[in-house]
Amino acid sequence: MTAYPRWKAFLVIIVLIVSFIYSLPNFYPSFPAIEISHEKNNANENKITKNIIQNLKIENIINKNNKLILKFNNTEDQLKAYRALQNSKIQEPFTLTTYNDIPSWLTSINAYPMFLGLDLKGGVHFLLQVDKNNIQKNLLREIEVDTKKILIKNKYRYQSFNKIDNKIIINFKDDKFINEAINKINESFNDEIATKDTSTNLNSINISLSQASIDRDITSAISKNLTILRSRVDELGVAQPILQRQGKDRIIVQLPGLQDSTRAKGILGSTATLEFRLTKGTPEDWYNSKLSGIPTVNSSALYFARDKSPILLSRKVVVAGDDIKNANTGFDSATNTPAVFVRLSDYGASRMLDTTKKNIGNRMAVIFVEKNKQEVINVAVIREAFSQSFQITGLDMKEAQDLSILLRSGALRAPMEIVEERTVGPSLGKANILSGKNSMYFGLFLVGLFMFIYYRLFGVIANIALVANIIIIISILSIFQATLTLSGIAGIVLTVGMAVDANVLIFERIREEIMNGNSPNASISSGYQKAFSTISDANITTLIAAIALLTIGTGAVKGFAVTLVIGIMSSMFTSIVGTRALVSIIYENKDSKRLSI
Amino acid sequence: MFKLINTNSNYDFLRKKTIAMIFSLALIILSLGSFVTQGLNWGIDFSSGYIVQLKFNQDLDINNIRNNFIDNGVNDSVIQYFGSNQEIIIKLQEDSNFNEESINNFLINTLQDYSFEIIKLEFVGSQIGSELREKGEWAMLVAILSILIYIGFRFEFLYGIGAIIALIHDVLITLGIFSIFQLQFDLSVLSALLAVIGYSLNDTIVVYDRIRENSTLIHEEDFTKILNVSINQTLSRTIITSLTTLFVLTSLLILGGAAVQYFALAMIIGIFIGTYSSIYIASSSLSFLGVGNKSE
Repeated sequence: MTAYPRWKAFLVIIVLIVSFIYSLPNFYPSFPAIEISHEKNNANENKITKNIIQNLKIENIINKNNKLILKFNNTEDQLKAYRALQNSKIQEPFTLTTYNDIPSWLTSINAYPMFLGLDLKGGVHFLLQVDKNNIQKNLLREIEVDTKKILIKNKYRYQSFNKIDNKIIINFKDDKFINEAINKINESFNDEIATKDTSTNLNSINISLSQASIDRDITSAISKNLTILRSRVDELGVAQPILQRQGKDRIIVQLPGLQDSTRAKGILGSTATLEFRLTKGTPEDWYNSKLSGIPTVNSSALYFARDKSPILLSRKVVVAGDDIKNANTGFDSATNTPAVFVRLSDYGASRMLDTTKKNIGNRMAVIFVEKNKQEVINVAVIREAFSQSFQITGLDMKEAQDLSILLRSGALRAPMEIVEERTVGPSLGKANILSGKNSMYFGLFLVGLFMFIYYRLFGVIANIALVANIIIIISILSIFQATLTLSGIAGIVLTVGMAVDANVLIFERIREEIMNGNSPNASISSGYQKAFSTISDANITTLIAAIALLTIGTGAVKGFAVTLVIGIMSSMFTSIVGTRALVSIIYENKDSKRLSI
Repeated sequence: MFKLINTNSNYDFLRKKTIAMIFSLALIILSLGSFVTQGLNWGIDFSSGYIVQLKFNQDLDINNIRNNFIDNGVNDSVIQYFGSNQEIIIKLQEDSNFNEESINNFLINTLQDYSFEIIKLEFVGSQIGSELREKGEWAMLVAILSILIYIGFRFEFLYGIGAIIALIHDVLITLGIFSIFQLQFDLSVLSALLAVIGYSLNDTIVVYDRIRENSTLIHEEDFTKILNVSINQTLSRTIITSLTTLFVLTSLLILGGAAVQYFALAMIIGIFIGTYSSIYIASSSLSFLGVGNKSE
């Protein structure tokens, strides 16, 4: 038998060793855990943390790299402890994670386990869609303001300026300025949005939004919202969240391991923010306004507190959410009630200082603004001037925590609506992964048994290649940190079938060659050679189909295609190159009379 | 050597090509008839509504649950066992009266005699459903076209047509069986169908490859003889591969749990049809299309 190139055997060995190492992390057990960071003071010494740990009888505590990791045996215990921490007055940030007992030498070479999809792990899936109407409305408002400026600056006198639906209609007395105005407007927006109205005899200009400008705004809103959502999700303390843009105007958010979808939902879609305004009039005025339904004091607006009591507020906003730089939750030292500690930007701080200086003894209100709801959460007398940092009370702990997350992450560029929501329970996930695994093992066992009975030694070689193939697929999925879903497992199943097929094709060819009276070694050579074009044609065709699915498909189809693409490549490698190396090691230099096939 | 198929097998597959064609045509007509009359039983992935999975502490009679639902005014829901007879999955059509909270209340009211736990509560909007459907169909069309181009390039254009005929044959009949028996068609079945396309192609190409090889090796005037020889030579491989793949899929069907059962079922049906078509239909269509005539 002609010598098989040494470098090929060498390549196979190297690929196998690397794959084996990178697939290793998947075999270490993982535990639900809570991570508590403690930068300065040691959390172990922290009384509150210590109390909680003692009360809940948490035994598995790992202390490393300024982090305290509490290990649990199940998610129920984990969530119980998490709630206890939330209700406590703990200062250190803490998050829900999954802890793997992976040795540090593995993590130092970036070997991590593969991600498991929601269907395997449990969790929440959201699909958020940007509110197109809102974007159009805002865009039109901007255009309105700018257009008015242009008209006034150039002294184009108009008779009326109307906004109807998604259109602006400007009427003029005559057509003197019309063309000039149209040019100026289009020039300033760099877009052909203004046209002369030809449908009526009136001298008017129509301004309508171009699809391109709406698309542009949606794109920029989506990418901004993605950043904001990511920081919100990080604050929720979910391990390995997945945030992806889908299509033109949607964002997918997947939060594995999260069970409480209501909170996530509230935080993801929320446009909540704060406003600070001065009050107007006296409490007497406030009640009179409530009775009459209209504000009795000039330039004021009627607001309501949480207990439905009326308050008159100035129409002027002193500081809004955009001016808040940072927000944290804690407890008010005097009353021991939950509080949000707010830090303003320099601009906000100077405005706040000016206002409070002039209004000592007056009242200031904090308003919670969300979509169409405005609610006064706190009214307090200004006792002294303040600027950058202060605290707000009047919320419960949960609200305070959620609000500070929202203030820290900033307001969404455009509101988003949740159009799809799925919750997968962890028990379903657990059952799925277990039955999926078991059925896979059993199926593989049957295939292996059959191959051994049918092809003897060559069958054993094919089985070794099959195991190697699976290890390579797992390691590639782990290296790219791809997400393994149920349909992904299905893709692996198909790959296993095709890998076996490649070996069957080769072995059947070798058998044919032996039948034709060729020597064992010659049969091996020509068997591999002749089967190669068949295998490659068959695999490449399937690969083409898989790539088509990968680029077009979404969700389950995509998950299937990813593993199929990886699987086809690795199965071609193991079943052609890999088995060839093994066969040549066994039969090379030996003048065998018969093959065990 | 342990063999399933005699090495010197010499079955005259092509002689039965008329019977095979009639059989396949009958199946296709039956499938198309079923599409028209009852259509597919679209799973929640493709239609809009809520899907609720409940786990009970006792064995259930699903008819009682169905009656409970109808008594409470919901009669367009689909209720099925899921995995065991202690778990059910309920599909509720989208309805403006329903949201997650009202479903919760509805369930508590309707099933007040039972103690149960909600394992899953999903909503799929209609828009998303139709988009998924469109994308799935698109994906399949592009896949078929690119395959046609590749085979045309590697073999001959007519071989490409033959492979596509076999492929459409397999997909249509697999879908037809899902329609006739009103099995749920969800995304996992779509995945399976795509896998069936891959599998069917794989099978067809192995046979075609042999035909191509034999066309140059055997100087035979009768093209059907070349076809028969090629099918016989690849027969044991076709059977063995189908068998090993069926091992994995059958264990997936039996042990894999409810979530993958339709995937496995679709693939098993597809593989039976695919194996049959790669033996009878793929090569019959070559002779039907007139491949090999020009060499005469």
